[in-house]
Amino acid sequence: MQWPWRKAETDLDREMRYHLDTLADAFEKQGMPRAEALRRARVEFGGVEQVKEQCRDESRWRVFAEVGQDAGFGIRMMRKTPVVTAAAILSLALGIGATTAILALVDAVLWRTLEVPQAQQLTEIFWQAKEGRTTELYRGASGSMFPDGPVRVADFFSRVAFESMSKQAAGRAQLAAHLYPSEVSTSYAGSTAVAKLRAVSGSFFPLLGIRPHAGRALTPADDDAAAPMTVVVSHQYWQSALRGDAQAIGRGLRINNRSYSIAGVLPATFGGIEVGDTVDLYTSIPHAPDMLNPESWLRAESGDPKTWCFQLLARRAPGVSNEALKPLLDAAFRSSWVAQPEDPEAALVIRLQAAGGGLGGLRREFGNPLSVLFTLVALVLLIACANIANLLLARADWRRKEVALRVSLGCSRSRLMRQFFTESALLAAAGGLLSIAVAYATANFAVTLMPNPVRLGFSLDARAFLATLAITVVTALVFGLYPAWRTARVDASPALKEGSGSVGGASHSWVTPGKLLVLGQVALAVLLVAAAAAFTSHLRKIITSETGFERSGLLMFDLRPGQSGYQGPRLQQFYVDLERRLRDLPAVESIGIARIRPMMGGGYWNPVKLPGRPKEIPSAVNFVTEGYLRALGVKIVAGRGLTAQDLPAARVAVVSEDLAKEIGPSPLGRTFSLGESKESIVIVGVAAWARYDRLTHQPNIVYVPNPRKEDSFTVLLRARIPPMQALDSVRRAVTELDRDLPMVEVATMEEQIANTLRRERLFAWLCGSFGVLALLLCMIGLYGVMSYAMARRGQEMGIRMALGASRADIFRHVLGEGMGVALFGLLIGAPATYFAAHRFVNHKDLGMEPLDPAMLTWSIAALVLCAVLAVLAPALRAASADPVKALRQG
Amino acid sequence: MYVDKQGMEIKKSDLLQGTLDLLILKTLAPGALHGYAIAQRILLSSRETLDVQQGSLYPALHRLERKGLVDSEWKESDNGRMAKFYTLTRAGRKQLTDELEQWQRIARSINWVLES
Repeated sequence: MQWPWRKAETDLDREMRYHLDTLADAFEKQGMPRAEALRRARVEFGGVEQVKEQCRDESRWRVFAEVGQDAGFGIRMMRKTPVVTAAAILSLALGIGATTAILALVDAVLWRTLEVPQAQQLTEIFWQAKEGRTTELYRGASGSMFPDGPVRVADFFSRVAFESMSKQAAGRAQLAAHLYPSEVSTSYAGSTAVAKLRAVSGSFFPLLGIRPHAGRALTPADDDAAAPMTVVVSHQYWQSALRGDAQAIGRGLRINNRSYSIAGVLPATFGGIEVGDTVDLYTSIPHAPDMLNPESWLRAESGDPKTWCFQLLARRAPGVSNEALKPLLDAAFRSSWVAQPEDPEAALVIRLQAAGGGLGGLRREFGNPLSVLFTLVALVLLIACANIANLLLARADWRRKEVALRVSLGCSRSRLMRQFFTESALLAAAGGLLSIAVAYATANFAVTLMPNPVRLGFSLDARAFLATLAITVVTALVFGLYPAWRTARVDASPALKEGSGSVGGASHSWVTPGKLLVLGQVALAVLLVAAAAAFTSHLRKIITSETGFERSGLLMFDLRPGQSGYQGPRLQQFYVDLERRLRDLPAVESIGIARIRPMMGGGYWNPVKLPGRPKEIPSAVNFVTEGYLRALGVKIVAGRGLTAQDLPAARVAVVSEDLAKEIGPSPLGRTFSLGESKESIVIVGVAAWARYDRLTHQPNIVYVPNPRKEDSFTVLLRARIPPMQALDSVRRAVTELDRDLPMVEVATMEEQIANTLRRERLFAWLCGSFGVLALLLCMIGLYGVMSYAMARRGQEMGIRMALGASRADIFRHVLGEGMGVALFGLLIGAPATYFAAHRFVNHKDLGMEPLDPAMLTWSIAALVLCAVLAVLAPALRAASADPVKALRQG
Repeated sequence: MYVDKQGMEIKKSDLLQGTLDLLILKTLAPGALHGYAIAQRILLSSRETLDVQQGSLYPALHRLERKGLVDSEWKESDNGRMAKFYTLTRAGRKQLTDELEQWQRIARSINWVLES
């Protein structure tokens, strides 16, 4: 395809030629020779080139043509210095790409709103309380609890509380309840899958105001336990597991071996009510698989006012504020308690939080980290911009004579500025284009580091591209305008005279804009490098911290026989068969079964109560088979381990060293009870210290014999060969036992540990790359500015040598000058970094220590080293220059 | 030998500003013409008294085209070569009548003054 302005040019040419030829023909007919006729035609026509130029002035493509010329010129200039240009474009691409990716992540986690009508009316309901005992109000709970300064905030309520709050708020707000999502196994048209299910009250979808993509959503009529069992599926699930089958509505879907009919498909725009939601299926609460399971405590106790397992969502009526709603909910909440607390100070109060962007679990975990990351990446971009500005400044300086010539020949300054700006825009465009790939890679990488499983509505969509475009335009303005403006101000006459033999036609100031830019870069880089050092060393510290067991060689997977209909004696037999088969495998050294998967980031907490001691000891509990501690590799340091004979009675326990210490000098044989239970348990052994839920936490642990009745559990294997190689034979053994029983969440211990560290890893990786990037960009900047200064001051160096300076003197001089710039930058950057780290970064939120001065010192050392490396080449070049040549130069 | 015309010739600089546009529009009124033909036609219809510098036609044509008063199209001409033919657009026709009217008014007025 041809550009319109190019076509205009060839057309113009053809048109003129036609006229001249025809005119010449006419003259030829009058008897002139061809050559003479052509000459005559040209005279008659007038100046062909002038006419063309006048026609071009009339062309509507004039502006484009000029931009095209500028761009062509710019590209030629770039191709003259390919390495410098490539470095500039690459640094820009990295800067813009990383910024876009982080921006897209921030957008997905913090800024998106749910795609439902009037999302700003949605409110999440929590309760909060000061630290202290709340167990008299609830016995069982399911949901999440998190600290917020001095208070604890939780999102679970009893059914009674939900009902009385709904009634109390009627007219001012609608309420809906939902349960914590659970994993279920589904089977549709013969193919099975694992899916995530959230049970919701009938008011849930009407409250959100969601119009289903097909069929119907759940309604209050579904709240009746006697109503037909129906399920609503997410659009994503419909497309993947149901293969987008339009006939699926009304068909049957088996969930945990029970039959449901598919009532509807949710719209594609609704990803769920949580940020990063992965819920596939929705049923009414009475039809939730957990409620139907006869073994489930939820079924037995969901109506109990001491069982708090409902999460609540509200939609305020127009004009009703959270402040107006809160007292109503508080009163209703209080009336639902089984007892009023003795200490009114310790009472629970309602806390309302805007939920227009969805429920905020992920936001709580990643909000602060992401804003820190965003600040850091913006600084990286700034450093990259400084490099490009430097490049353009240097280039503009080289072209002072050219510019002066053009100005004196009548080129307008605005035209000149436009040309210089076109060049920087060209750089920005190239960088921007390349940055899309960088953004894609960075974002994908960042998502893999997010907690699993998270389904972020995150893609490089129109929003992300707009962001890239905006960032590119802003960067082009930031780094392009100043050099363009400076160049266009060139005074023609001195610039033309300079370099005619005398030294320093233009004054060589020590403080050049280029050096100031590099100084700023170094100052910013200190901050980035220190952040990188702090976050990576934080991660390193965690990863290398002791687990209390040998973490390699361990393989874990979950089985959910309950979902395949195993119960009672058949379930117990399944346990026995499974353990025997796995133990017989040659690849398996030892095997244990636990109710709580180790290192999964959470656990089962129940305080230890000692007779005669009022203070409870907070503890983690795990229900384990006798082989578990051996498979995990935790030694018994006193007493004995659990044995198969302990099982029927299950009144014994092994406790961890830490707990034993807290219990007293001779823990063996002492009795205690767990939480609300009155059953007394005898301590028969003390196990060595070990981690339970994550590397950053070291709770007391109680190991209780596993009664082998749980319908889902974790199998832990210690393999003789690398665990993933043992997986095949293990899988075969499980399949032989039951073909339809899937192994879920297979992971080695190392993978499992890495999973709990996703936030730290996200941080360490991204900050680490930002730090390295900042170092590289600084080196390029310093190298560039010093090389350029030396190239311009070759004569000066020549004179110095002629006057007796040795090569070593010159080397020292240049090195000192470059290092001076870097050291000034450090002088500003280091204290600023220290101040910023302590003033603006909430390190507690990030689970970190405040910035260590030693870390800062290391960062400074790294920067100094890089600065020396960057200045070395220009210094060596200056020192090895031939003084005679240098003097003649110019 | 080619002989320069003498006597009645009006030099190109004497052509009133803006009249060239009017002449072109008028010449194009009967139908499509290429630049060379326009020049010939003007020369012919001015009884060879108005020798427009041929090159200066083109900036004028391009200006008229940009203003949307004429349209252009590449077609084969009488001598078998491809030439760019210009035609009046609807706006061009309107402009022609407006300018003709204006011209005649001015010419009449000047005539009255000169003949008084």
